[in-house]
Amino acid sequence: MLTSLYVEGRSWFHRLPVRAKLLALLVLSLALFATQSLYLLAPAFLLCGWLYFSLGLTFRQALARIGFLFFTILVLAAINLFLLPVAEVAALLLRLMALVLFAAAVTATTTIGAFMDEVTFLVKPFERLGLLRAADVSLALGLVLRFVPDIFARYEAIREAHRARGLPIRPLTIIGPLIILTLKDADTIAAAIDARGFRRQ
Amino acid sequence: MDIRFTDCSVSFGERVALHPLTLALDERRIGIIGLNGSGKTTFARLINGLVKPSKGRVTVNGLDTVKDDRAVLAEAGFIFQNPQHQLIMPIVSDDIAFGLKNRGLPAQEIAARTEAALTRFGVTHLARRRVHELSGGETQLVAMASVVVTGPKILILDEPTNQLDLRNRRMVANTIDALDEDTVVITHDLELVEGVERLLLFHEGRLLADGPPAETIKRYHEVAGC
Repeated sequence: MLTSLYVEGRSWFHRLPVRAKLLALLVLSLALFATQSLYLLAPAFLLCGWLYFSLGLTFRQALARIGFLFFTILVLAAINLFLLPVAEVAALLLRLMALVLFAAAVTATTTIGAFMDEVTFLVKPFERLGLLRAADVSLALGLVLRFVPDIFARYEAIREAHRARGLPIRPLTIIGPLIILTLKDADTIAAAIDARGFRRQ
Repeated sequence: MDIRFTDCSVSFGERVALHPLTLALDERRIGIIGLNGSGKTTFARLINGLVKPSKGRVTVNGLDTVKDDRAVLAEAGFIFQNPQHQLIMPIVSDDIAFGLKNRGLPAQEIAARTEAALTRFGVTHLARRRVHELSGGETQLVAMASVVVTGPKILILDEPTNQLDLRNRRMVANTIDALDEDTVVITHDLELVEGVERLLLFHEGRLLADGPPAETIKRYHEVAGC
């Protein structure tokens, strides 16, 4: 999640505007899918790797963030070895890994606030058409990122309470109280948004 | 502050949460106490328009909480019983900036005012921290900073020392004492309201006592039977 993956830093990539980074990610995605040449894909992979590993994370931290995705890509490549020529599998592998590295670099250098401002900017045209309110989209995104950890924490608390009372831990008996408590909190959160002058909800 | 309740009552369906009340609050430091369910939070929420009167009228510094609701929200900031609920953005500095962004202020002013609020409440070191990782005392200070940053003249604090340990309780109490804004504090923590200018006691939806802290607290003990 963006909230937990941002890395404080002053690298040139940190200083780059969010819009430029997202645009670069889009262009890179299209470019990498437009070519099968290993002579292009291999340098792209190395370049993205250099970028990601130069952002101030230790090698261990950097690997921990992308390890699962890399593992998934490797499994995918291994399966494809039975179906496709080796060169094609290598291209697939390099392409996906380069994209993951670049996307991870964008995530590590973009604060959630900056990302939300950009989302607000991107949906502004829809606001002009009267389809939505840009600030609402930004707020919704912020609320998801803000409260998902709280919902996990509450899930754990309900599980603990079940365990403490010697009750069997079944997803269904936990999800019921979790939904009720979350909805109850939603009322207070809506009141808080009102109180902070966002607008009458 | 200039808060006026004119024959104001609140009902939720059949249940009367607050019986008709006519009252003027002019002091800078007001405290509200009462047993659970006595109507004190309803009373406080009437002040910034989060609850609308079923009958009668409430005005805050001359503004009607129904007709001028947006202006009243800007005039009276509210800090909730569980401040975690009012921190809406995932990162502390983003949350403090949230209210300013909604007012459409320029980016430079938002940054300067956010920085000033962080400094004022001594939470500059928390600026990049994730909101859900803050301790109770830190959460309360950040909640205050996020409300005060928009410049309300009155602050309503609903049980601000609830669930805080002794050190955090003292830190929050000292911060409230030092606030330039007028305050209305709802609390079960009697030590917190010992120094207020005027203390109100609510019981079963009625204003039971209204006066200096010592007298009102004595009456509260009688009501609570201890």
